[in-house]
Amino acid sequence: MRAPTGISELDAMLHGGLMRGDVTLVVGSAGTGKTTLALQYLVNGATKFNENGLYITFEQMPAQIYRDAASFGWDIRKLEAEGKIRVVCTSPPVLVQFVEQRNPIDAMIEEINAKRIVIDSISHLEAFIPASELRGELYRLINHLKMKELTSVFTAESHEVFGDRLMVTGVGLSFLVDCIILLRIVEIQSSLKKALTILKIRGSDHDKQLREFEITSQGIKIGVSFKDLEGLLTGTPRRTSEERFAEAFAKAARKGK
Amino acid sequence: MNETGLHELSEKLIGTEIKAELLRLFHMNPGILDTVESIARRIGRMPKDVETEIVTLVDLGVLRKERFGKLDVLSLNTSKDREVQEKLAALIEGGVKQ
Repeated sequence: MRAPTGISELDAMLHGGLMRGDVTLVVGSAGTGKTTLALQYLVNGATKFNENGLYITFEQMPAQIYRDAASFGWDIRKLEAEGKIRVVCTSPPVLVQFVEQRNPIDAMIEEINAKRIVIDSISHLEAFIPASELRGELYRLINHLKMKELTSVFTAESHEVFGDRLMVTGVGLSFLVDCIILLRIVEIQSSLKKALTILKIRGSDHDKQLREFEITSQGIKIGVSFKDLEGLLTGTPRRTSEERFAEAFAKAARKGK
Repeated sequence: MNETGLHELSEKLIGTEIKAELLRLFHMNPGILDTVESIARRIGRMPKDVETEIVTLVDLGVLRKERFGKLDVLSLNTSKDREVQEKLAALIEGGVKQ
């Protein structure tokens, strides 16, 4: 039923992993770690769970992906040579071509018997496909991947680094996908921290906390939830009323001495 | 024969700057599956400048061209590419021995 990401804290938040056959959207602004999380999901699939995977990239060249992955200790070239991962560099119009129910990536899915797929990033489709056709094309692509029984991760860029608005895409992609993981940068005491939360999973309960995470030399490492702060998703959190009361109380006590 | 063969093959493979750039692109990124327009963009060239060079590489069998709907999609034919590289290496070796 579940496809574990191999990131133990995230799997616990997801109550075991991604739902098998579902489409998950990992959304965040530039530099939040979307590609790292997506790659980690594929590498762990191939190395820990015997599930091969396809990585579709549009703008980033495979050579750059090999290099970036190597900095986390992931040898993608080796995994490709072993037939466990395939990195495909293409453009959105190619990805949405279907002829007699066949898509250009189908041969590669079959070749390595892929169970996982990453599309990085789905936001690029907006630049190549007319707005009037985009939702329909995304719906077709999502259903095609589901028919192939792939557990998919799409990354998407959110343009707002800070602020209280969150816009994933203008075509209602958040309604088409089954699960949404949000990555966000938040400012806490003049430091920029990374935060992760699960916004939705269709048909399953999940952890609703906002957790701090770091990108370490081994990939994504998720920590504990932010304590005593509220309004984190606005990017500029404030202390909770309980915390403010406790501080005022302590201050009054100090004055009274 | 070796010298002529080597010259012809190397001319076909890397006779122009663009062809060399294309081969470098595909060798470094063997997972490219794309259109002429996008491939041209990836090496910073105009589609009209790369079209004829791509035709030569398709004729040699190094690149594979498949029609999907309205698009011609190109990819590296890894087995043929290896074969051509081995042939080139053998010709160079033969040329050196002579």
